[in-house]
Amino acid sequence: MSNIKIKSKNLNVYYGDKQALFDVNLDLNEKEVTALIGPSGCGKSTFIRCINRMNDVIDICKVTGNIEMDGMNINDKDLDVVSLRERVGMVFQKPNPFPKSIYDNISYGPKIHGKGETKSELDQIVENSLKKSALWEEVKDRLDEPGTSLSGGQQQRLCIARAISVNPEVILMDEPCSALDPIATAKIEELIDELKKTYTIVIVTHSMAQAVRVSQKTGFFHLGKLIEVGKTEKIFKNPDNKMTQDYITGRFG
Amino acid sequence: MTKEERLKKRHRAEKRFRFYGLTSIFVALLFVVILVQNIFSKGSSAFKKTVITTEVFFDQELLEIQNGASQEEIMEADFYDIMIENLIKAYPAKDREEEDELLKLFSGDAEIEIKKAFLNDNNLIGKTITLDLTASDDIDQLHKGNYPRDLPEERRRISDFQLVIYDYFVENKKISKNFNNYFFNNGDSRDPELAGIGGALVGSFYSILICLLLAFPVAVLASIYLEEFAPKNKITDFIEININNLAAVPSIVYGLLALQILLATIQLPISTPLVAGITLALMTLPRIIIPCRASLKAVPPSIREGALAVGASKFQSVFHHVVPLALPGTLSGTIIGLAQALGETAPLILIGMVAFVVDIPSSPVDPSSSLPVQVYLWSESAERGFVEKTSATIMMLLSFLIVMNFIAVYLRQKFEKRWN
Repeated sequence: MSNIKIKSKNLNVYYGDKQALFDVNLDLNEKEVTALIGPSGCGKSTFIRCINRMNDVIDICKVTGNIEMDGMNINDKDLDVVSLRERVGMVFQKPNPFPKSIYDNISYGPKIHGKGETKSELDQIVENSLKKSALWEEVKDRLDEPGTSLSGGQQQRLCIARAISVNPEVILMDEPCSALDPIATAKIEELIDELKKTYTIVIVTHSMAQAVRVSQKTGFFHLGKLIEVGKTEKIFKNPDNKMTQDYITGRFG
Repeated sequence: MTKEERLKKRHRAEKRFRFYGLTSIFVALLFVVILVQNIFSKGSSAFKKTVITTEVFFDQELLEIQNGASQEEIMEADFYDIMIENLIKAYPAKDREEEDELLKLFSGDAEIEIKKAFLNDNNLIGKTITLDLTASDDIDQLHKGNYPRDLPEERRRISDFQLVIYDYFVENKKISKNFNNYFFNNGDSRDPELAGIGGALVGSFYSILICLLLAFPVAVLASIYLEEFAPKNKITDFIEININNLAAVPSIVYGLLALQILLATIQLPISTPLVAGITLALMTLPRIIIPCRASLKAVPPSIREGALAVGASKFQSVFHHVVPLALPGTLSGTIIGLAQALGETAPLILIGMVAFVVDIPSSPVDPSSSLPVQVYLWSESAERGFVEKTSATIMMLLSFLIVMNFIAVYLRQKFEKRWN
C-alpha cells in the first residue's frame, strides 16, 4: 500500500449560493494515478482545482473543510499559493501554451521560481522537461518557434512539460485529452504511465476506457458528492454502488 | 404559399438587403469624395506663393552699414530706403501716387526679405542681385486665379492701375509661383501672404505630447487595475459606469473645467500648450481606458490560468503575460484617442488658445495656437488668402490623423499575437 499524498476531509465548495461539492473525503496515493469520473457538472474539476487553489481566481467561490498534503493544510488562508502551485502543477482541458517560443514556455516557471540561475541550467531544465514529456525529439531543432505553432497533441505535451519544469510533486490533469484525436490521446496516456513513477497524478476524464487504462484508483462523483472510490479494477468490474454501476455501463451521464 | 414561393421570397429579401447596403456605402463614399475634393480644390494652392522677381541694388548711400558688417549690425540696420528705392524701379511709374500703388503689390515683409539676402552675404554693397520677393495677398490671389478681375473697379481691392502693373509683370515674366515656405515656418499674421501654421504645428505638438505623457500611464494603469485586480463589487461597477459616461461628455465641458480649475484656481498661464495638454489629457483618459480594458478583456483566461498554475503570482501573470498580449490593442486605442485630441477645438477655445499669436512657441508655457483652432480662426477671416490657408490647414490636420490611424492599424496587425 502506497503512502497517502493528499487527503481531503469534509471538503465543501460553494459558488455563491450554489453548493458544488458536499463533504468530499478522498485520499490520493503517492506516485499513483487517481482518475475522477462522473457526468458533467458533478464537481470533479472543482475538486482538483481545490488542490492547487485555482478556485481562488473565482471571486464568488468559497471552500470549507480541509485538504492536507503531507500534513500541510492546503486550504489554509495564510498559505502562500505561489509556493503551493510550485508543488502542485496543472494541465488544462484545452492546451494553453503561452504565445511565446517553445523554450520560453518551459523556462518561464523555473525562471520565476529562481531555479536555473544560468542559461545552461535553464537549457538543461528545458531539455529534461521536454524529454520527460516525450516532446524533445519532435521540437529540439525549433525551440524558438512559437508554442502555438505546434499541433494540438504536441501543445498539450508542451503544457505537461511546462507543468513538470518546476519539478512539482503532484500534477493535476483536467480532461487533458478531451480536445485531442485518438493518436495524440494514446501518446498522452503513455506519458502519464511514465510520469507516475515520479509524480502523484490526478486526472479528470470523461472516458471510462481512459480511466481504466491509466489509473490505479478511481473516484466516481455525482451531483457534487463522491459516490464511490476504490481500486480502478474494482470500480469498473464490481462496484459497490448501484449508481456507479449504472454510470460505467452507460445507463446515464 | 408554396415552398418555391417562400424560397423566392427569401432570395428577394437577401437581394434587397444587399442593394440597401451597397447604396449606403455609395452615399457615404460620395460624401467623403465631395468633402475631400472641396478641401483639396480650395487648399492646394496655399502650398505655393506668388513672388515678384525684382532687381535689388544695395546703395551705400542709403545704408548706414558697411560691407562685412556683423550679424547684429545688419539686424539693427534700416533697410527701408533700400527697399523703397528698388521696388519703385520694378515698374516705370509716373508719379508718387502710382509708386504707392506699385509698393502695395509687395508683401509687408519685403524689407525683411531684402535684409535676409544681405544677412546671407554681407558683401553686397555696390552690387545688384535678383530677388524673388513675396507678392501681396491681392496679387497672390489674382495670380492663382482666385480673384475675379472683371468686377467694376470700386468693388475690387486691386485698382485698374495695379492690374496694368500686374499684366506688365506677367508679360515680362517677372511674376512666378514658388514653394510657400512661409506657410510652414511662420506663425499667424494679419497678412494672409505671410501667415503660416508653424506656431499652430508646434503648439499642437506640445499639447499632444503633454496629453500623451499624462493620459497614457494613468489610463493604462487604471485599466490594468480595474480589469485584473479590482474586486468585482458595486464600487468597481460604479467607477466603470462613470468612466463610460465621461467618455461621452461633450469636450467643451472639459474646457469649462480647465477654465475654472487650471486657469482660475491654479493660475496656470493662459492659452498655453501646457493647459491645453492637461485639458486634452482629462478628455482623452476615459477614451483610452475603454479600448485598453477591452484589449485586456480579450486575452483569454486560459493564459492567466496557465501562468498561475506554474506558480506565477497574480502580478506576474498580469505583467508577464496579459499586458504584453494586450499591448497592441492598448497602443492603437491610445493613438486613436490622441488623434481625437489632436482634432479637438472646443475646449481649447475656452482656455484662450484662440488668441492671436504671431511668435512660434519655444516651450509649452508660451502662448500658442493649435491646428484646429487655427482653422477656426482663419475660417472667420474675410481675406481671400485665408480661405485657401484654412483648407490647407485642414489638409495638414487630416494627413496627421490619417498617419496616426494608419500607425494604429499597423501596430494592431503587426503585433497582435494569435492564440487558439
